[in-house]
Amino acid sequence: MSSKSKAFTREEELLLQDFSRNVSTKSSALFYGNAFIVSAIPIWLFWRIHMIDLYSSLISFVVVTLVSTYLVAFAYKNTKFVLKHKVAVKREDAVTREMTKKLAEDKKMSKKEKDERILWKKNEVADYEATTFSIFYNNALFLAIVIFASFYVLKSFTPAFNYILSVGVAGGLLALLSTGTQ
Amino acid sequence: MKSLCVAVLLLAVSGLVMSAEEDSSSQAKLLVSKQILNKYLVEDMDIVLKYSLYNVGSSAAVNVALKDSSFPADSFSVVGGSLELNVDRIPPGANVSHVVVVRPRKPGYFNFSSAEVNYLPSDEAKQPQFAVSSEPGEGGIIAFRDFDKKFSPHVLDWAAFAVMTLPCLAIPFLLWWSSKSKYEALVKGGKKDKSNKD
Repeated sequence: MSSKSKAFTREEELLLQDFSRNVSTKSSALFYGNAFIVSAIPIWLFWRIHMIDLYSSLISFVVVTLVSTYLVAFAYKNTKFVLKHKVAVKREDAVTREMTKKLAEDKKMSKKEKDERILWKKNEVADYEATTFSIFYNNALFLAIVIFASFYVLKSFTPAFNYILSVGVAGGLLALLSTGTQ
Repeated sequence: MKSLCVAVLLLAVSGLVMSAEEDSSSQAKLLVSKQILNKYLVEDMDIVLKYSLYNVGSSAAVNVALKDSSFPADSFSVVGGSLELNVDRIPPGANVSHVVVVRPRKPGYFNFSSAEVNYLPSDEAKQPQFAVSSEPGEGGIIAFRDFDKKFSPHVLDWAAFAVMTLPCLAIPFLLWWSSKSKYEALVKGGKKDKSNKD
């Protein structure tokens, strides 16, 4: 009885994990780390090319980078959530085939456990692909928006204002677009 | 009577002028120009100055000494040539040109004034002739930062930016791509197996 209830809880947990918007601490750290790096990179462009004064803009660098980190990480999470389901559907066949082949030799394993393993693997593959693609897509979009905004749209503004606005708008737009695709 | 007096006076004056011209015609006459050859005047970047001396007189100019003291040492540094020039003789109808390269130390407006020239108008002359060159006038020296911002292609800066962004884009893309191609190959392989069995 206890093993049955335990198995049920695990399955339930898997299902919950599969459908929930929350991410694990590990992937959250990955998201925030990546978002911080990509948010800090535009400082180089503004320092070397827009010739922004480093010392006087130090506060705005810190504030804008932190805000943008939050927004980009938010966009990663949302995009990942949307993608995960699509990827899970797409990879269902392939993962089932791979796992059945792998588990075919193991005669001792019950069918329920095999199904559970397939479900777990499917979740893992979908999670991995959605995470990596979400990071790639959002990074590319963020950098493209920052470059376009700072070199074309806000070209005539002062470097300090240009920085705040272009990085802020890029982060905001990313967060907005990620919620819109639901 | 009055008009006669005026006519006599005019004649006298013109006579004086004529005699002065006759005197000067046997003397050297230097025309001195000072030109800035740059399009942009930029802080810490070369400014090329060209001094041209042209003798329009009928005698050689002797011991010509050109000195430009219009560049204060705290605002400019001389990086090529000298702001002083000495030429022994400039024959009539001859040209001498002299080029100096200076570098402004700070941005802002600067009045480029004239250079001074001293020479003996002829071999026999004892009294030196003093002359000044043309003056280029006021010029705005742009800060290097502004000039660089406008005209530099920033190739190295963009290259560094590319190096920084590459891992952010390439690593997640390659991870996603490898997983995608792995499972897509599995699906394709599976379908082939099925069709072979059929």
